[in-house]
Amino acid sequence: MESYDVVVNHKGYISLDVIDEMLHHLKIFLNNKVTDNKTLRKRIYSLSVECLDNILKHSDLNEENHELLVDYPPRFIVERIAGSFLIHTGNIVLNKNSEKIVKRLNYLNELDENEVNELYKNSLSNAEISEKGGAGLGLIVMSKLTGQKIKFDFEKINDKFSYFAMQLIFKN
Amino acid sequence: MEGLYISAQEKSPKVIFDPEKKIFEMEGNSRPENVREFYYPIIDILRKYFENVIDKGDLESYIEAPFNFTFKLDYFNSASAKFISDILVIIKDFMNEKLIIKVNWYFEDGDDDMKEVGEDFSEMISLPFNFIMIQHN
Repeated sequence: MESYDVVVNHKGYISLDVIDEMLHHLKIFLNNKVTDNKTLRKRIYSLSVECLDNILKHSDLNEENHELLVDYPPRFIVERIAGSFLIHTGNIVLNKNSEKIVKRLNYLNELDENEVNELYKNSLSNAEISEKGGAGLGLIVMSKLTGQKIKFDFEKINDKFSYFAMQLIFKN
Repeated sequence: MEGLYISAQEKSPKVIFDPEKKIFEMEGNSRPENVREFYYPIIDILRKYFENVIDKGDLESYIEAPFNFTFKLDYFNSASAKFISDILVIIKDFMNEKLIIKVNWYFEDGDDDMKEVGEDFSEMISLPFNFIMIQHN
């Protein structure tokens, strides 16, 4: 039988403290269970940081729509299946932003490994840090680190919001 | 000119800038809560320092004793990568002004990604790095 672990399973409010706690838990798992592969440990950790940063910085939700969180909570799940890792993320975004995200992800998914690396280098030179502290590099880094297509889906919640779900696969 | 000392925290690196000794060092992890607040003062102080050196025309002392930048990073997030690249661009700008500066990029034995990130930076900015592997005992 293939080995299976749920490393992190979070559905609910996400803050800097919650992120720190999840990353701490993840680090302990990686240090104890992925003892022979430093590169793998660091890649899973890096992917998780970028995913959590994205959820924290790019969730479009304000006070008046907080009740949506009950049915559509931010989500961050890390599973290990037979040595490969699966990361699931979910967060609410404005419908008007979803088109931009779809365009960006479709573009990234069409690039090969070398093209992603080139895009990363160009983006790093030209990146500007937003007020939220983002460099706009997160999705590129995810694509670069996994070397796989990023799976994603948008579920329409209402006229204003959608739930953006993403799945990253890291094959070892 | 004043230097800089920032002690290492879980989410931010140790940073030493010592103009007397002509060293700048960054060591540890970097995913600070407020990345702009962390890096802007560092970038500011470095740029001012090198501008001052150029204004004084004090290039010769750098031939005998170059300025040394040391990066000994274990992990940094993508927003930090942007700022590290900004620091490297400053180095490049002042090397173009004929200032002699050395860049030492450390990576742990087995951490191929950290070496590769350094190679990418070096290529991107056309800045030569000394790559130094940290051996485990």
